[in-house]
Amino acid sequence: MEIIEQQQNDAWIFRIDGRLDSNTAPDLETTVVKAIERGARNMVIDFESLAYISSAGLRVILKTAKDLKRLDGILVLCSMQDYVREVFEISGFDTFLPIAPTAGDAVRQVSRKPE
Amino acid sequence: MGRHNICFQLRNDLSELETLRTELERFKADADIPEKTLLEVNLILDELFTNVVSCGFRDAEEHWVKITLCREGNVLTLCVRDDGVPFNPTALHDPDTCCPMEERRIGGMGIFLIRRLTDEMTYHRTDTDNIVTLRKNLH
Repeated sequence: MEIIEQQQNDAWIFRIDGRLDSNTAPDLETTVVKAIERGARNMVIDFESLAYISSAGLRVILKTAKDLKRLDGILVLCSMQDYVREVFEISGFDTFLPIAPTAGDAVRQVSRKPE
Repeated sequence: MGRHNICFQLRNDLSELETLRTELERFKADADIPEKTLLEVNLILDELFTNVVSCGFRDAEEHWVKITLCREGNVLTLCVRDDGVPFNPTALHDPDTCCPMEERRIGGMGIFLIRRLTDEMTYHRTDTDNIVTLRKNLH
């Protein structure tokens, strides 16, 4: 599993290439924690290249959303493939995590700051 | 309509999730399983396997988790067998002594997903082994 990092203004974008399972999820957690330490607050996780996710992946996503929220930041997910979307729906995670159709939409969403 | 079977073993190490994936790819081709169903089956077996690896053993020994899949008509039967500590995923709560809080939350979500993706899950314990059998109807 590879994570490709990009920044656009104050948005930090992580594209995951591969699979998020109990074996690979710790790498995502480490990456996100380090980014937050470096000041990331407006984060996008792009799932365009993610074929598969298990509960271990969901747990890291949830933790990331909580950590950012506590710091007045925001996490938006985007570009989910059908199966990944299904897992978010079955687990109910889609009811409280913002999911955008494209990375462009997601970046716009995290960059809009309420006054 | 034929009957398609596959059996394989995974070592109690999370890196074996890759082996699980390749075995399932083989099964998909043999048994003509739709891609989405295969991903769901992968998830079901992944969650059970992860629970076994995380919580199943108190020693540092190598253990083998045996997995079988069978397609007969439109019914898929999965079986996961391990020789770890007694662990019944069909029970509402994990045993207290099983895992620290963190991992139990993972287990909870994993079992929940499995229940939503299968039509039946049963558990049997022998003297030494846990045997979880699942049925998934294909549509």
